Amino acid sequence: MAEIKIPTINRVIISGRLTRDPELRYTPNGKAVCNLSLAFNRRYKDASGQWQDDTTYITVVCWMKTAELVNRYLHRGSPVLVEGRLESRSWETEAGQKRTVIEIRADRLDFLERPANSEVDIDE
Amino acid sequence: MPELKLANLNRTFLIGRLTKDPEIRSTTNGTPVANFTIAINRRYRSQTGEIKEETTYVGIVAWQKLAELCRQYLAKGRAVLVEGKLQNRNWETEDGQKRSTLEVRADRIEFLDRETRSEGAATAAEPAEAGAVPEAYPEAIADNGKSDDDLPF
Repeated sequence: MAEIKIPTINRVIISGRLTRDPELRYTPNGKAVCNLSLAFNRRYKDASGQWQDDTTYITVVCWMKTAELVNRYLHRGSPVLVEGRLESRSWETEAGQKRTVIEIRADRLDFLERPANSEVDIDE
Repeated sequence: MPELKLANLNRTFLIGRLTKDPEIRSTTNGTPVANFTIAINRRYRSQTGEIKEETTYVGIVAWQKLAELCRQYLAKGRAVLVEGKLQNRNWETEDGQKRSTLEVRADRIEFLDRETRSEGAATAAEPAEAGAVPEAYPEAIADNGKSDDDLPF
């Protein structure tokens, strides 16, 4: 029998709302990049049976055409569905401390609000 | 027409290798919790055409029975499939600064290799393609989700 191989999977699907307007920037070689700050809520019952809200915040990074569309159509409060992969990024602070953040690198966004023609479906 | 409701979705699927042995603790009321980090490798072709590799590190947290099984079966270098949801974890540094990071709260973990691998960090840094394990024989374990919502995590 042939050997089994471990597949590569890094997939996230998440919905939420933008906590602020998107920020569009361009890299030195002209590629559009847009960072979104997304919040999503989860309700759960705590040990005493009371409903609690828990909010998670995450940064979503989109590139190229998606970045431009996001910048054009989304604003603070817009609901969006994001599909992509997790990426971690590390850097050193001025004080020499190492910091790491995890972001979603989006490869598909679905705008969850009308007007029509608002759906974006792009695979780079 | 009925009113539409926003889709509510938070699902993550990851395959990676443990960078260290899992840390197992108990909460004050005795609930077991396991924490570990997995390294996920990705190969891509750069603009100049060369094949490059990047590694993403993601923290995983598992509760209850799932945490017990992690203690029993997982160790540094092991390959796992993790299914779960993204959540923030907040903490304070020693000098009182607030910090927050993202982690995956596992609902299901599937063990993708059997033997404990002792190659350690070197193994964890290998691309998944190169880490093919001949005797791979998946064992699935799942958090039955019953107590899922009782926990403030």
